[in-house]
Amino acid sequence: MELTTRTTPSDFLLPSIHSAPPFFTEQPAPSTRTLFIDNWSRLILAYARHRRLFTLRVEDAEVAGGDWDEILRNERINRRVLPSYLSSLIAALVANNVAVYEPAKQTRSVLLFWRLPEEWADVLHSWATASGQLNTILTFYEIIDPPVPSPLSGLPIPLLRRAIAVLTRSGRAQIIGVADGEGVRLFAGTK
Amino acid sequence: MGSSQSTPKITPQDRAILDLKLQRDKLKQYQKKIQVILDREHQIAKTHLAAGDKDRAIIALRRRKYQQSLLLRTDEQLAKLEQLVSTIEFSLVEVSILHGLKQGNEVLKEIHREMSIESVEKLMEETQEAREYQREIGDLLANKLTLDEEDAVQAELKELQAAALEQGEPVLKDKLPSVPAEQPAVAETELQIPLRRDALRRVAVPE
Repeated sequence: MELTTRTTPSDFLLPSIHSAPPFFTEQPAPSTRTLFIDNWSRLILAYARHRRLFTLRVEDAEVAGGDWDEILRNERINRRVLPSYLSSLIAALVANNVAVYEPAKQTRSVLLFWRLPEEWADVLHSWATASGQLNTILTFYEIIDPPVPSPLSGLPIPLLRRAIAVLTRSGRAQIIGVADGEGVRLFAGTK
Repeated sequence: MGSSQSTPKITPQDRAILDLKLQRDKLKQYQKKIQVILDREHQIAKTHLAAGDKDRAIIALRRRKYQQSLLLRTDEQLAKLEQLVSTIEFSLVEVSILHGLKQGNEVLKEIHREMSIESVEKLMEETQEAREYQREIGDLLANKLTLDEEDAVQAELKELQAAALEQGEPVLKDKLPSVPAEQPAVAETELQIPLRRDALRRVAVPE
């Protein structure tokens, strides 16, 4: 079978390795296994960035119809990633610090870091600077669902929290808590 | 910790603003929820109507109308909340402006205190004295010279001035572009061309 790149309906370019049947099963040989897992990590993060997906669940390999079908399944070669393999792929992502189990204390669902929290922190800070929202109090909801779409639209709260934590450490953000919820204030800061 | 020193303290005003903004967010979320219900009731009415169940369709539509009125009311409340938030934020800006003006005023006062009229007068007096002293020294030196020597000094001064003039002029000539000598003729020719064409056309029409 010829290995070629292919564009999915959502305009994502699949690498040629995606047409190789062995790519979809866990390999016994350690070197091949690490190579495939590396490729899978890159593919998963690239696809997540393309579709702005933030969570990957083992469940996505169990039932069809999810957001991840385009890469977890390849109908042309009649292959799909089995839940057990996806589970180890997820473990590899977490081991490489490009994902965390969210919520913690389970291993079936992860929050993907196609941008690291540090990078999200910069995105958040430059958005606040560009939209003139430094020194004003912002609610989390206001940041992830602004009236004017921003690069932060749809960002999951746990990831937003991590980004804010990064800014807090460098004195560029301050969390304000009241009975009803939380807000954050961003500062120009010096970095 | 070090970071807590650089960030300002959280004031009760901050908490109040945050509270308001959280309320606003809740209203926005509520509106989303109502919008979903509206769409669903519409769908329900449609399916009932398709099934020939007119009464149920009407009930669904009534419910929809009620939710719609709720949506309108939340819109009003949202507007009120947003207005309040902006008013507060604007007032905070005003307060900081006032603070800035106050500080500027203080600085100005401080400067004026240092620049009291007496000290200025004293300074001017001292300058005057120094100038007079200088003139006296000049006079003393001049008196020591003979008339011939004084003439020589004046002649040398003139020579220097002439030399400076000669040196200075070519530099200026190099730097400045010369004024064009001819009249600007382009504008006239441009005006003339359409006129001539016009004349030609006027001849051509009767033929």
